[in-house]
Amino acid sequence: MICVTPEFILLSLVVVTALAFDFTNGFHDTANAMATSIATRALSPKAAVSLSAVLNLVGAFLSVEVAVTVTNAVIRIQNPDGSPKPELMADDGHGLLLILMAGLAGAIIWNILTWLWGLPSSSSHALFGGLIGATVASMGWEGVKWVGEGYHLDGVVGKVVLPALLSPAIAIVVAYIGTKLVFKLTQGVARRYQEAGFRWGQIFTASLLSLSHGTNDAQKTMGVVTLALIANGAWTSTTDIPLWVKFACALAIASGTYIGGWRIIRTMGKGLVEISSPQGMAAESASAAVILTSSQLGFALSTTHVCTGSILGSGLGRRGAAVRWNVAGRMALAWLTTLPLAGLVGAGMWWIGHLLGQGVGAFVVFAIMCAAALYMWWHSKRDPISHHNVNDAWEEPKDRAEKEATAVPGGTH
Amino acid sequence: MEQLLAALDGAWRVLLVAVVLGAGLPTLFAAGIRALAWGIGGDAEVHGAGVIVKPNLVGRLIAYLLFAIVLGSVALGIGYIGAHGMGWTISFNGIMPVFTPKH
Repeated sequence: MICVTPEFILLSLVVVTALAFDFTNGFHDTANAMATSIATRALSPKAAVSLSAVLNLVGAFLSVEVAVTVTNAVIRIQNPDGSPKPELMADDGHGLLLILMAGLAGAIIWNILTWLWGLPSSSSHALFGGLIGATVASMGWEGVKWVGEGYHLDGVVGKVVLPALLSPAIAIVVAYIGTKLVFKLTQGVARRYQEAGFRWGQIFTASLLSLSHGTNDAQKTMGVVTLALIANGAWTSTTDIPLWVKFACALAIASGTYIGGWRIIRTMGKGLVEISSPQGMAAESASAAVILTSSQLGFALSTTHVCTGSILGSGLGRRGAAVRWNVAGRMALAWLTTLPLAGLVGAGMWWIGHLLGQGVGAFVVFAIMCAAALYMWWHSKRDPISHHNVNDAWEEPKDRAEKEATAVPGGTH
Repeated sequence: MEQLLAALDGAWRVLLVAVVLGAGLPTLFAAGIRALAWGIGGDAEVHGAGVIVKPNLVGRLIAYLLFAIVLGSVALGIGYIGAHGMGWTISFNGIMPVFTPKH
C-alpha cells in the first residue's frame, strides 16, 4: 500500500520531471538522425519522425544493461556500486531527490530554450550541466569530479569537455573523406539516378542512427529515475531497473522523437549546408561509424556534436557547396555554453527549492519549470516551424526581419 | 595532461576505425551505384546525344555484390547495437564476428 506522504509526492515530481527530460531529449535529437533525410526528401517529414520514433522505442527496449551509475562520471552523489551516498539519504533521500529535481529542471529549461532558437545542443551536456550545478549548490565544489585520475578518462574534463572538442573534429574528417570519394566515384552517373540511389542509402543509415540513439539516451533517464527510487527506498537493487521505468522512459523518448524538434531539424538540414542525398548518406554513415566505434572503445561523446560535425564535413567535401559559417558559429556557441548555463539554472533551482524548505520547495521548482516551458512554447508560436515548412528555403533571421519591416501592412502575400 | 593524452589516444583509434567504416562503406555504395548505372544503361549515365547505351549484366552483378556488402555491414551494425544493449560483447577473430555474453 502506497501512502501519500510528502516524500512520495517529491519522488513522483522527480520521476515526472525525469520523463519530461527524456521527452525533450527525444525531440531535441530527432534532427541528429533525420535532418539530412528530410532535407533531401529521402523521407517525407512525417515518415521520418515516425520511423525514428519506432526505432528509438525498439532501441530503448534493447538496452537491458542499464547503468544506475550514470551520474558517477561527473558528480559524487553515488558510491561506485551505484547506491547513493549515505549523507544524502536523510529524510527518505530528500537531499538527493532535490539535487536530481533541480538538475533535471535546469536541463529541461536549457533544452527548450535551445529548441526555441533552433540550435542543436547536446541533451547529455544539458543533463550533466544541470546535475553539476545542483550538486555544487548543495555540496560545494568538491561534490563534482572535475578531472579523472591518470589515464582513465573520467570526470567533467575526461567524459564531457575533451570528447566534445574532439568528436566533431573526427566526424568532420570522416564525412569530408566520404563525401569526396562518393562524388568522385559517381561522376558520369546521371544526376537524377544518383540522387535516387543515395536516398535509399540514407534511409538505412538514418535508421541505424535512430536505433543507436534509443539504446544510448533512453538509458540515461532510466538510470536517473532508478536512482531517485533507490534514494527514496522504493527500490533497492543497483544492478536492475523496474520494468515500468523502462516502459515509461522508452515511451517518453519515442513520443518526443515523434513530435519532432522541427526548428532544430530545419537548422541542421537546411541551415548549415544545402545538402544533396550523396552528402546526406556520407554524413549519416560518418556519424553512425563514429558513434558506434566510440561506444565500443568506451569513448563517451555526444550524438549531437558528431552529427553536426558530419554535416559540416559533407559540406566541405563537395566542391561548390557553401557552408553557412555564421550558423555553425551560433551552434558552436551553444555547445560551449550548454554545460555552464544549464548548470547555473540547475544551481538556481536548487537554491529556490532549498530555501523554501521541504514542504513546498520542490513544488515551486516544478512550477517554475512548467511556467518557463509553457512561456517558451507560447513564444515559439509567433514563428512556427512544423513538418509543413521545415524544408522551405533558408533565410537568415536578419533578412527575414528586414523583409517584415519593409512589407506593406495589409499588402498581398 | 594525462587526461588529454588519454583522450587523444581514444580519438585517434576512433578516427582510424571510423574512416574505414564511415567513409569506406558509402564509397562502396557509390561504386555500387556507378556499376548499376553502367549495368542498366539508357539514361542512367551521362551520355552524348543520339548515343544508345545498352544494358550490361556484369555491371548489374558487380552492383548487387557491392550493395550486399554494404547491407551486410549495416546488419552487422544493428547486430552490434542489439548485442551491446543485451550485455554481450562482440569480437572479430579473423573476419567473422563472434558474440559472447559478458558474464
